[in-house]
Amino acid sequence: MILLQSHSRFLLQTLLNRVQNLEKSVELDYHWVEFDDVRYHVQVSMKNPHILLLSVSLPTPPLEAVFLGGLPFGAIEAIKAAYGVIVQILDPPRDGFNLTLKLNLSKLPPDEEYKHALLVKIASVREVVLGAPLRVILKYLASRTVAPDMDHLVALVHRPNESFFLVPQAEKVTVVFPMRFKDSIDTVLATSFLQEFVESRRTAGLSNAPPCLWSHSPPLELKGATDDALSANAGFVTFVIFPRHVEGKKLDRTVWNLSTFHAYVNYHVKCSEGFMHTRMRRRVESLIQALNRAKPDQEKTKKTAHTRSFKRLSLKDSCTNSSS
Amino acid sequence: MANTLRLYLTCIRNTLEAAMCLQNFPCQEVERHNKPEVELKTSPELLLNPVLICRNEAEKCLIETSINSLRISLKVKQADELENILTKKFLRFLSMRAEAFQVLRRKPVQGYDISFLITNYHCEEMQKQKLIDFIVQFMEDIDKEISELKMSVNTRGRLVATEFLKQFI
Repeated sequence: MILLQSHSRFLLQTLLNRVQNLEKSVELDYHWVEFDDVRYHVQVSMKNPHILLLSVSLPTPPLEAVFLGGLPFGAIEAIKAAYGVIVQILDPPRDGFNLTLKLNLSKLPPDEEYKHALLVKIASVREVVLGAPLRVILKYLASRTVAPDMDHLVALVHRPNESFFLVPQAEKVTVVFPMRFKDSIDTVLATSFLQEFVESRRTAGLSNAPPCLWSHSPPLELKGATDDALSANAGFVTFVIFPRHVEGKKLDRTVWNLSTFHAYVNYHVKCSEGFMHTRMRRRVESLIQALNRAKPDQEKTKKTAHTRSFKRLSLKDSCTNSSS
Repeated sequence: MANTLRLYLTCIRNTLEAAMCLQNFPCQEVERHNKPEVELKTSPELLLNPVLICRNEAEKCLIETSINSLRISLKVKQADELENILTKKFLRFLSMRAEAFQVLRRKPVQGYDISFLITNYHCEEMQKQKLIDFIVQFMEDIDKEISELKMSVNTRGRLVATEFLKQFI
């Protein structure tokens, strides 16, 4: 799986199980965590088997991207637009969570395909909620305008205590990611990966993709941001998004890909390290085999352990013994 | 490029063939002890002149011999930051498994990337020619492995980048 999928597989599985056994009363209480510190809680009680309570906790935003009202701006409208009457937002949300949704599974549409698509959309609640501000800005870009009273430099959270930056304009939106990694090996691998982004954009066939730049120092767009927002040990990646990247169906995909860019690079850095370990182990085994070939004695000792020597007694010997 | 590698390895092989004449020698200072003299370096009459074979400024091989032991230290070429961490990672991986390799030293000698310690006991257990073959093959394998790891990182990086950018088209 090269690309990260927008729906949570465990959540989708749980929803599908529930929908298939809607009349069976079960008690469900699941907690789990996903990448970048997004936590989920699903609860179903025996009394109301068709009601499912879904709570989501988002990564802590840094100072420049604080949530007003506990949720990113535009999140509530996005939830209502995506889910309609099936979902009711509970206010206040459960303790420790940013959002609690009450799903009424009996109100799902009867058509199988439509129902499945809607359940996949519910399992993508992370994309809908966390990606809501980005979606708002990109929707304005699709109509080549800028949202009223929008700051020049917008900070949105994508990891705990870290944010990425947007410069929304009428004809393009510039997105800047400061890339930070805790481990020094991760940083070097990520830097080589990020430089590949710039290189592969130049290849043919990708000229329609957003222009991509990597720089070691903060780019000019970030003038005016706070100092700790400007420190990044693996450099800064800049994408320029044009209206053609956000028209129609492409909007959701673009929102997801940009929101999870850092997670995507991190995931592949870790996969790369795992692959290197497997290779190194294989190499160690082949070297030890080469060393064992230098030992000749093992074969000889094997033979002497198992072979026996016999001396045949002939009749002549036994005859001479008795006579003399 | 390949030419100098062959010459470098042949030179090391010839030096090892000359140097690997090890015999058992109980310790002169402490009774009933038998130590590899090349590690202790207490008695100058038991040590031979160390030989340094340089391929270029970045790659060299130090061979120190004594009456009962032989120490080979290698410095591997590291062109850029990525090769640097890959080499460090790979050689640390090998050094941690020194027990399985028997002739490998757990820590490299100061100034080098990896070290071998061969004693007379190893020479008694294993054939001298095959042991030298192993060392030379080890050196080739390290170079091959580092370049293959670097290529796999670059290939993966390109694939990751292409897949990501294709999503926007």
